[in-house]
Amino acid sequence: MSAREGWITFAATLAAFLMLSAIFFLLLGKPPLEMGLSLVEFAFGDAYSLSETLAKASPILFCALAVAVPGRLGLISVGAEGQLYIGAITGTALVLGFPELPPLAMIPLMLAAAALGGAAWGLVPGLLRARLDINETIVTLILNYCAVLFASALVFGPWRDPANQGWPATAPFPPAAVPPAVDGKVHLGLLIGVLLALALHVFFTRGRAAVHIRILAGNRKVGRTFGLDFAFWVTALMATGGAIAGIGGIIEVAAIQGRLQPSISLGYGLTGFLVSWLARHRPLVILPIALLVGGLLAGSDALQLFAKVPAASATILEGLLFATALAVPGLIARWRRSDGN
Amino acid sequence: MIMDREPLVRFEHLTRRFGELAAVSDVSLDIRAGEVLALLGENGAGKSTLMKLLYGIHPPSAGRILLDGRESPIRGPADAMRNGIGMVFQHFSLLPALSVRDNLLAAWPATPAYIGRRSKRAARVLDRLSVIAPDIDPERRVDTLSVGEQQLVELCKVVNLEARVVILDEPTSVLTPAEAQRLYDFVLRLAAEGRAVVLITHKLADVEACADRIAVMRGGMLVADFAKGERTTAETVALMMGRPAATAEPAPDRFAGRPARLVLREITASAAGHVLKGISLEIAGGEVLGIAGVAGNGQTLLAEVVAGVEAPSGGDVLLDGESIARRGDEPHATPIGYIPEQPRDNAVVETMDLSANLRLRALAAGEADGAYDVAALIRRFNIAPSEPTRRAGTLSGGNLQKLVAARELGVPRPAVLACYPTMGLDLGAVGTVYEAMFAQAAAGAAVLWISEDLDDLLARAHRIAVMRGGAIVALVENDGTLTRDRLGAFMTGAPAEAAA
Repeated sequence: MSAREGWITFAATLAAFLMLSAIFFLLLGKPPLEMGLSLVEFAFGDAYSLSETLAKASPILFCALAVAVPGRLGLISVGAEGQLYIGAITGTALVLGFPELPPLAMIPLMLAAAALGGAAWGLVPGLLRARLDINETIVTLILNYCAVLFASALVFGPWRDPANQGWPATAPFPPAAVPPAVDGKVHLGLLIGVLLALALHVFFTRGRAAVHIRILAGNRKVGRTFGLDFAFWVTALMATGGAIAGIGGIIEVAAIQGRLQPSISLGYGLTGFLVSWLARHRPLVILPIALLVGGLLAGSDALQLFAKVPAASATILEGLLFATALAVPGLIARWRRSDGN
Repeated sequence: MIMDREPLVRFEHLTRRFGELAAVSDVSLDIRAGEVLALLGENGAGKSTLMKLLYGIHPPSAGRILLDGRESPIRGPADAMRNGIGMVFQHFSLLPALSVRDNLLAAWPATPAYIGRRSKRAARVLDRLSVIAPDIDPERRVDTLSVGEQQLVELCKVVNLEARVVILDEPTSVLTPAEAQRLYDFVLRLAAEGRAVVLITHKLADVEACADRIAVMRGGMLVADFAKGERTTAETVALMMGRPAATAEPAPDRFAGRPARLVLREITASAAGHVLKGISLEIAGGEVLGIAGVAGNGQTLLAEVVAGVEAPSGGDVLLDGESIARRGDEPHATPIGYIPEQPRDNAVVETMDLSANLRLRALAAGEADGAYDVAALIRRFNIAPSEPTRRAGTLSGGNLQKLVAARELGVPRPAVLACYPTMGLDLGAVGTVYEAMFAQAAAGAAVLWISEDLDDLLARAHRIAVMRGGAIVALVENDGTLTRDRLGAFMTGAPAEAAA
């Protein structure tokens, strides 16, 4: 696809999304133009809106990168949600176990614990795929339920803080475990996510490993003939993806919610999955899309408060965005084909 | 049978452009009922594209198609089938996990809504199969069939549509001689029933066997259209290639006994329904050893064991005395030049460009890739389109075959294993591949060559081994006295004492 065609596709997708959102607002009986402008304003209009947007974009970014890493090898992992929960659990375990640690030790150790937990959760489907050729999509899907229920079991059971008077949540994190932030919700995790995306871009586009992964993704049998190790890369990339989602999980808990609760993710795993596929697993493309989707979620939250649109609007708009982004390029390609060019 | 004088299909000044390239250029041609039309031409001559215009896969850029004298209403394959036009492609559209019977039923317009185990009406779907391929058990899963058998099932599927025009795209390139003969008989029968058959091919044997009329294409243009017998074979080849055919066929130097270089020692293995039962062969440096046999007798598995893709369960593969067999799942890079069958699936990374595919071994090994002069390889093996930055997946099957041959044969190798290395190639490219393969032998490589083409093996191999049921049933010197019939007898199961 040439750069010009890329821009045409982008413009057509945007136009289709705006049109469909307008229809959606009309169906709600709201003025579409006004709603659209408010949405943009609530998402990116001032410092507060922007910080809300970034706060929403952060877990989406981590989950998208967690899907993109095994995705580069042609694997379809839907396990970011579960890995995010496990990362939150193991990170929280460190915080609850060593609450007296100084900030300089606490945050790195907490992130490392979360990364290890997420990696372990990704390693399981990775090993099953590498050794026994068991479908990684199914295993990651099932492990999501295990992780979410495990987190619930902990906060309803042994980890529940008695001071909460029955509310299922752990004790609040000590200040040393809260990542530094500027302006409320713009926290250290966001910086980590962006740096990770840049590092992954370099890893997947430069050097020998990048070539090996491309060969194996394109034709596993050819890779095998010429001595490449599919089993190693499956295991390594699944675990790395898990680690990334795990870090995203503990950051969400430590920086935003302040304690582990039953529902730390608002479907970030699935949203991240869609973002990664939309970006075709390219980390540098994931960055702006995650920001855009974060803005959409934050903006529609505000719209719900101030313009009295239903709470489901965020999900619906998100769905419209993904549907158009997936459908429009296909429609354009089809139209070009039948046009005989 | 009344012969219809009005052509079923008429192309009038058809042109189809892809960007700058005119794949089909101003072609006018008739297709008549009751006639077998051979559409002859080299790879990329525009034969398949021309027929895809009729089948509705691409709309023409200019000109028109008349069906029964009226403007063709076909806008896509579904329209084509409704209008009685069926096409068998080089790439099949069978469902590998279903049985032959279920595949045929899935595509059959007369399939009843409910099919019992012994439904009489459903059994009719198998009528044609029993004519064209009586050896295929309809309950077998398609993925256990050889490529040739799948081709016959695919053909049966199209014929079951009661098509008036049956288009076959390079149908014999994957068939054994016996299967091809059965196909020819079947094609003649279709024509005798009053159907029009279009045979897209680059093989003169196909033309000799069953064509009534021959249309020759070159560079997108129709260069000749004549009844069989009006021109000599040499004239036809000259029309096809645009120059007189080369007189000398490439063949390796006579081989003077040298020590064994590639040794297969008591190899046993099993995978995906195939077994190898203790295969031993010794190939000397400079020797070309051919392995003949009907596809599906363990050749693929043998090739994958020798190339280190599969691990043997017993025995060993030695190159210059060192084991090169895979052990378990440890990473293992093959040191020999290896051309597997079906390059698109087994030898090419479609998502990468030509240059990367040509340098693939070096890229995988992380070595400097100075040995691979990409531009020179593309030129020498005449790979088209030739831009090194083009994605390999956009190339035709024949050009992918050339690409793999260029990578594996274009630089010196200690040994070469080639499976059907000329499949789907036109005459010019066949010559290039054989030359490169025999140059490897001349430079001292041990060459193991798996083929179904007995004439080619007899003309070129030093020794010929025959494989059947996972074992070598004969190993004979190709001393000029060996005949097709004798090899054929080994292939189908002659008494063991017939071996020399």
